[in-house]
Amino acid sequence: MNRKILMFLSYAELPTKKIERVMEIVEEKNIEEIKPLVDDKEVMNLLSTNEYASLVKKCDDRVFSSYLNNLEKDGIKVVTLEDAEYPDKLRYTDDAPMLLYCKGDLSLLNKDCLSIVGTRMPSNYGRFVTEKFAGALAMAGLVVVSGLAYGVDSISHRKTLEVGGKTIAVLGGGFNHIYPEANTNLANEIAEKGLLVSEYPPFAKPTKYTFPLRNRIIAGLSLGTLITEAGKKSGTIHTKEYALDYGRDVFAVPGNINSLKSELPNSLIRSAQADCVLEPEDILLKYNYNAKKEEKRAVEVNMDEEVIIKLLKDGEKDFDYLAQFSKLPVNILNSCLTTLEIRGLIKRMPSKTFMLN
Amino acid sequence: MLSKLMSFGLTGIDGFLVEIETDLVGGLPHFDLVGLGDTAVKEAKERVKSAIRNSGFEYPLKHYTVNLAPADLKKEGPVYDLGIAVGILSASEQILNRDYKNYIFLGELSLDGRIKKVRGVLPMLISARALGYKNFIIPKENEREASFIENINCYAFNTLKEVVEFLNREINRDDYKVKTVRFEDIALLNTNKLDFENVKGQRMAKRALEIAAAGGHNVLMIGPPGSGKSMLAKCFSGILPNLTFEEALEVTKIHSIAGELDLKQGIITERPFRSPHHTATAVSLTGGGVHSKPGEISLAHNGVLFLDEFPEYSRNLIETLRQPLEDGYITVARAQQTITYPASFTLIASMNPCPCGNYGSKDRECTCSPTQIHRYLSKLSGPIMDRIDIHVEVDNITYRELNDENKEEPTKNIKERVDKARAIQLERFKGSKVFCNAKMSVPQTKKFCKLSPECQKLMETAFTNLKLSARAHDRILKVARTIADLAGSEDIEPQHIAEAISYRGLDRKYFSV
Repeated sequence: MNRKILMFLSYAELPTKKIERVMEIVEEKNIEEIKPLVDDKEVMNLLSTNEYASLVKKCDDRVFSSYLNNLEKDGIKVVTLEDAEYPDKLRYTDDAPMLLYCKGDLSLLNKDCLSIVGTRMPSNYGRFVTEKFAGALAMAGLVVVSGLAYGVDSISHRKTLEVGGKTIAVLGGGFNHIYPEANTNLANEIAEKGLLVSEYPPFAKPTKYTFPLRNRIIAGLSLGTLITEAGKKSGTIHTKEYALDYGRDVFAVPGNINSLKSELPNSLIRSAQADCVLEPEDILLKYNYNAKKEEKRAVEVNMDEEVIIKLLKDGEKDFDYLAQFSKLPVNILNSCLTTLEIRGLIKRMPSKTFMLN
Repeated sequence: MLSKLMSFGLTGIDGFLVEIETDLVGGLPHFDLVGLGDTAVKEAKERVKSAIRNSGFEYPLKHYTVNLAPADLKKEGPVYDLGIAVGILSASEQILNRDYKNYIFLGELSLDGRIKKVRGVLPMLISARALGYKNFIIPKENEREASFIENINCYAFNTLKEVVEFLNREINRDDYKVKTVRFEDIALLNTNKLDFENVKGQRMAKRALEIAAAGGHNVLMIGPPGSGKSMLAKCFSGILPNLTFEEALEVTKIHSIAGELDLKQGIITERPFRSPHHTATAVSLTGGGVHSKPGEISLAHNGVLFLDEFPEYSRNLIETLRQPLEDGYITVARAQQTITYPASFTLIASMNPCPCGNYGSKDRECTCSPTQIHRYLSKLSGPIMDRIDIHVEVDNITYRELNDENKEEPTKNIKERVDKARAIQLERFKGSKVFCNAKMSVPQTKKFCKLSPECQKLMETAFTNLKLSARAHDRILKVARTIADLAGSEDIEPQHIAEAISYRGLDRKYFSV
């Protein structure tokens, strides 16, 4: 396959399907350079007016080669279907992208990956579940894949980086247009310690159609997809559909039946489309991974702290509840909670709610 | 005939002497008023004319020239009416006694000859006394304000006629003399309407406010609508230490200039609580304007400035708070003049966790998009957050808590603890300009917030495990110092640090989406 032509077609922002067709013509006619490609009648007939116009507009050898140089300078590596680095899992899906723009550790592509996806607005419960699973899976050695969106996506990435695991973020646009912008720092960190992947050239802006499409890469890269919390109409449905199409596992964490945010995982479990998972080990066992238990340090707690822990064993509780039932003065309670939190025994959630870690 | 007498004007909160010169010559009837007066000053001529006639005096048809000296300082308001009237009456030889030269005249005239109240009597009297003037004639309505100033002879009148009779010594002078009232006698009457006793639950917020009052820290309250943030803020001024007489005078001065003083009370004995709405303009907050008046932040001087829905305030409005939060005063620079007003207040800000207010709530669903929430939270700029020591979350209370029979701690008890902690601080900062922990400078923080190795270790683990930002460090030290003072402890103990850390919610980023 002619790599240069392939890069050019992607540079001209043709859709994957069209790139495939054009590449067939290129193979057939043995076209080597971009100029004859653009002049080719058959190519012209194949493409829509807009697509062809873009091809003509971008057909400038000098500009194109400086673009290629820039890619290199920015540390962006391009992996095509023919490269060894291209993950097999993705290669044999029927709409695999012809090439992937990558930034970071390429070796992650061929490791065992698991994607964690879900709502952009998780509840405290969703947050807790996502962190728990992301942390445990990453520590056991799985690569956590997600989409860098708000909510479950960024929580999984952050937690994975926090425990020193590896993570892949698949973007819905080019590297120069990180979306949401607020996650730019996170994206930089992932590029450094993990891998950023996109099928779009760096200058491409994300649109509302590109996000569902990148979900196929998320599903395709992974052995399985875990849904921690998602509403009925969530975009997560796309990822699940792709995963099922590709014959991958889908896992779902059940939630409260009243909670709108657990509707999707709950209904997937009911219709047996997803495996119900209650703890990270459920997933790890399936792929023959051993859960790495965090060494439970013998932590000494004083009497006051023990009272608090006892109360929290009942589930998450808010500050006023703890104050009322622990009978501790507010200042003592406050400092105990912070000390417990610093030692990682409890966790603080928004609206002064606390839960056991 | 020419007559000269004295009155007073204001720039900022300081007064300056104004001489009213009235010259009366024959010729065509005419009235000239010079001396850089605003419209209200210019219009005095009509009021004065009617007031003189309706008080039973003669207004001779002559050519009048009235000059307000110094001629290059801007004069504002109707405060010169009385002086001009007396000037005309003496120039036309209806007041024969030359005694009027010893007095400073303040007052607005109504057409029927009555003397009406004016703004800023207290600051003018105080500045005049400092300049060595002792005798004043003021409106009866402003009597109470003047009654707290010692070592002056102040006379209060209802009508122009009375003033003339007074100057001509036709009536008993002592009947009109303002009697001095001792501040201590009325300060005790201080009754705060809202008591912490009435606020159910919210233990964490109450504790945070106690610490804030004890150390002069600024507070940000985060919570859904209807969770009682405003109520807590209103109770807050009740636990602050009582105003001293000097502080009360300062506060009263500012309120007097703004025309917001309760004239029956005459002096402000409670710490002010101001809550400007978020649609307020920058000028209404900082002060200034065409008729320069102190703004909301100066009216909150020595008290509480409560900004509800903090992120809804426009960005430049929030940024204007930076100077006063740092220095305790605000300088309003305009083309015509630069005025400085005192503005040393405790800032209590409150905000919802997201635009709809339910983000993170236990029982209500948030309907905001992550982008909306992100944008909402990012409205709080770093520099302003740097000046807020305590973040505290307030949540809706349940019905059970609302009907809880248990007695809540009354304001009085909390105040006692606050007063004790303040006393410790006053002792500590003796001789420096600082009087509370929140205002400690960097070297002072180093000196007074020494940490034991145990505390150091706690701080270190806290920073790595809880991902605190660097700006939190000094804030935590200062708050921990206050907590230690509340506990009456000489040194900062680990539990004080731990508690202080719990008030850095926004640095912790568990709010991020």
